[in-house]
Amino acid sequence: MFFSRFPAAPSMLLVSVVALNFSIGTTAFGQSAQAPASDPTNAGKAVFSKANCVGCHKWHGNGGGGYGGDALSLRKTELTRDQIIEIVGCGRPGTGMPFFMRGAYDEVKCHGMNRQDAGAQMPPEGGTFLRPKDIEAVADYVIAHIKGAGEPTYAECAAFFSSTSRVCDVYKTPAQKPDDATASTGKGQ
Amino acid sequence: MERFSGHTRISARARLLAIAVTAAGMAAALPTSAADEVNQERLLNVEKEPGNWLHHHQNYSAHRFSTLKEINRDNVKNLKVAWTLHLGGIEGGGIWSHGGLEGTPIAENGFLYVTDGWGSVYKIDAHGGRGVLVWKMDPKTDRDWAGAVACCGVDNRGVALWGDLVISHTLDGRLIATNKETGQVAWQRTVADPDKGETITGAPLIVKNMAITGVAGAEYGIRGWIAATDLTTQKEVWRTYTIPGKGEPGIETWKDSNNAAAAGGGSTWVTGTYDPATDTIIWGIGNPGPDWDSAYRPGDNLYTDSSLALDATTGKIKWHFQHTPNDPYDYDSVAENVLVDIPGPGGPQKLALEADRNGFAYAIDRTNGKFVWGLPFVKKVTWTKGLDPESGKPIEYDPNKAVQTYIASVTPSRTNMETDICPGNMGGKNWPPTAYNPDLKLWYIPVIESCNRIKVEVMTPDKLKPREFWTGGGPSQPFRITGSVTAIDVTTGKIAQKMETPFPNLGGMLATPDLVFTGQPSGEVMALDAKSLQKLWEFNTGGGVNAPPMTFTVDGKQYVAILVGLGGAWDKWFIDSTPELKKIQPGSMLYVFAL
Repeated sequence: MFFSRFPAAPSMLLVSVVALNFSIGTTAFGQSAQAPASDPTNAGKAVFSKANCVGCHKWHGNGGGGYGGDALSLRKTELTRDQIIEIVGCGRPGTGMPFFMRGAYDEVKCHGMNRQDAGAQMPPEGGTFLRPKDIEAVADYVIAHIKGAGEPTYAECAAFFSSTSRVCDVYKTPAQKPDDATASTGKGQ
Repeated sequence: MERFSGHTRISARARLLAIAVTAAGMAAALPTSAADEVNQERLLNVEKEPGNWLHHHQNYSAHRFSTLKEINRDNVKNLKVAWTLHLGGIEGGGIWSHGGLEGTPIAENGFLYVTDGWGSVYKIDAHGGRGVLVWKMDPKTDRDWAGAVACCGVDNRGVALWGDLVISHTLDGRLIATNKETGQVAWQRTVADPDKGETITGAPLIVKNMAITGVAGAEYGIRGWIAATDLTTQKEVWRTYTIPGKGEPGIETWKDSNNAAAAGGGSTWVTGTYDPATDTIIWGIGNPGPDWDSAYRPGDNLYTDSSLALDATTGKIKWHFQHTPNDPYDYDSVAENVLVDIPGPGGPQKLALEADRNGFAYAIDRTNGKFVWGLPFVKKVTWTKGLDPESGKPIEYDPNKAVQTYIASVTPSRTNMETDICPGNMGGKNWPPTAYNPDLKLWYIPVIESCNRIKVEVMTPDKLKPREFWTGGGPSQPFRITGSVTAIDVTTGKIAQKMETPFPNLGGMLATPDLVFTGQPSGEVMALDAKSLQKLWEFNTGGGVNAPPMTFTVDGKQYVAILVGLGGAWDKWFIDSTPELKKIQPGSMLYVFAL
């Protein structure tokens, strides 16, 4: 009954149209309109989504155990910018962390190894290859927005996602909840 | 095939087009005829309309057996693609890079109803030897919200029919009723809450004007349930939790001081069965959580890993049979219970058959939940020496132990933090459905012949967070995984045949009088001899088969239909065990075959 007439549909449409215009006007990647256009790490955020870092590390970077093993927490990481760039490019041998640099272990040695040296420790190949500038950008994004951050917050989540999804509602504090009608979808059960 | 049928197809299309044009103006206004209204009488008597496929599992007993025999062992070698239809829904969302197809088409009077992974429903007109999309209902699933807490893919296993409505679920927790003629949403109701880690992937079961819904999320700390919604009032009739609450029977099987039961898992994401003789719904219950840290939740952890019988009218629990008490392996028992009557010395034996993730096939007496027989249907079982012939429990099960260790040397535990187990945690047999031939009394199991490696993570209450994995470890895939179709003679409880396949069976089975149909994630759809399991026909779809075949008639001709599009858990979490499948592309296509 709650949804009987799609009450949310017109307003959702409005939001997405607005978001689309905004992103065309202000961001180079046409993907995300949530972070301020002046944020220099927007490009890195787009890479974080495009390269499916979220598939294991999640949007918040905390990773965690599960069916795919244990993706390390980028919030608790002590890696430097240069180390993050190396690991994104070369992957982590012996783990599920893929390499994203074209030619890694073939034209370019990684961790001092080529494909033969790596053998069974060869990390998987990422679903997409990233150019060096993309890898730097995603490292900058991780350093600026994820590394050292505490528990994920609603503001961080809302900055990452489109506001049309309810993916962030769970991070709202009780004080934030009453203003948003979509937060109450579970009621009445 | 093209050359042969091209001419007749065009003329048939032209004829139909002419009819469609003349009828177009009035068609929309016409009320659904009574013959098209699905009611309890029709759902109880599907054998009276063998050309239709009205239930997710074909009948209330989940036989997935069709009496159609125009396609048979003598002519199946001539089976060819009749038509195909591209569907959508492969987009990613949440932690998923793409969706897949796991659904069983529903067929009624020449129309098919299928879903894609995001829950869009497609009505397809199959008359005239080709498929034409009549309408598509896109529920606009909140992809990031739901996809972030779907453990095992962007999945939807299909619809049910009731009255003039098509009843479906969405991954983001809704039950949707769509007008069968117009494709317009009549109403919808939120049943599950992704904020709690709950999602819905199964097809609804319709019983007496109620839609029965199961939930997924035992990897995210849910407390599982089965819920019934009245399809007239759109209100909840009952909701039975699969983990007992305080003061309820069974809560004594959760002996911890962590309140583990509140996040104890017990999901219900495979459609169950219904026995009208006793008004009983029988439903399979998933794993306890956290999956692999069993010491976090000492006790048998009822009703996880159980077959559960409920009074259909009230939802009250009638009986249970638990397969893997205090499960440390992620050995769900979500599989369908197949209801079978076998002649016995004291009258017919009323059995419920279940092929479990733990590698054993079980027959229990469905009037009381008592064990009848059980046997391993996989080639390799390492976690137990076998089942106790009286109780059906694993031989090593000790009711006085709070934490079961079974064969301790291979069992994941806090003192055995990395270990290899067989079957692996996908089974055995996963959600892909079995089929049962009531003439031959053979039961066909789609098998994952597997081992995998489990790493345990010791859990503490502070690690339990909404919408985050609550698994207590995870699997990896150092071993090659293959598959088989294994046929069990239900009169003896013994394996009658096993046909091994290079890849695990991720699609499921269809039985006809002298054939069985199934597929492979490497792309092949195949027909086997019902007795010998010898392969009689094969076609490579060029995609990955991740859904069960079904069969129907239209214009008096028999067709076999199957959705093709590899998704689900396999190609994200388990692909390393089947490296050749890495090259299978995401896809979304309906294949329909005919002679």
